[in-house]
Amino acid sequence: MAPGQQTPTGENPYAQFYVVKKGDSLSKIAEEFYGDKMLYPKIFEANRDQLSDPNKIKPGQKLRIP
Amino acid sequence: MRTVSRWIIVAAALLAVGCANQKEPAEKAVAAAESAVAAIRDEAAKYAPDALQSAESALAGVKDKLAKGDYKAVLADSPQLTAAVSSLKDAVASGKAQAEAAAAAATEEWNTLSADVPKMVEAIQSRVDILGKSKKLPKNVSQEAFDSAKSRLESMKATWAEATSAFAAGNAVDAAAKANSVRQTGTEVLAQLGMTPG
Repeated sequence: MAPGQQTPTGENPYAQFYVVKKGDSLSKIAEEFYGDKMLYPKIFEANRDQLSDPNKIKPGQKLRIP
Repeated sequence: MRTVSRWIIVAAALLAVGCANQKEPAEKAVAAAESAVAAIRDEAAKYAPDALQSAESALAGVKDKLAKGDYKAVLADSPQLTAAVSSLKDAVASGKAQAEAAAAAATEEWNTLSADVPKMVEAIQSRVDILGKSKKLPKNVSQEAFDSAKSRLESMKATWAEATSAFAAGNAVDAAAKANSVRQTGTEVLAQLGMTPG
């Protein structure tokens, strides 16, 4: 998801979000936003309300990027 | 010769009586103006310093004439003095109303900013902390931009502390100005970090 899209109600309006695409993984997303795929736990922890396993993300999921 | 002397004495007596008749109203006029200015001096210094200076200048001139016993001139100047005091009162009322309106607008602005800016700082702090642990920065963030963002974040936090102190001290206008400055800087830092707000 391109930055600038609507944030969920109650979220920090300055938080960044990303909508998962086919073929994505948390480490790939971490590399894109942080430059380091090993920082994927940061994204996992920030999305524990919708993720139970860092290896299981689905296309269309809207992840908060802290 | 005696007749002339008598006339001089009579004339002097009449003059003295005339002056005595003008002294009391002259003193009263000056006292009233002094009292009126004193009553609003503090507010005037804050809201209408130019008008205060003008009124005090007029008052000083009349007091000088009073001290010299020129009661006639004091009474002649009295309407202008009254007008200067009246203008001062109007200027104070107007300045005070403007200041109160500005404070009310700033308070409203502050209420929005005080809810918004801490979230911005929080989002930037979070990203700076995470990028600080990264072995390599993301493609869209240079080392220079990251270093600048870190420095500016500290500046934002310091200015925000000043803003909250200003508001706590009752200075909503200053608080809102500082908060706006923090938000402006924050918007730029978000861009530096590649964080377009959601």
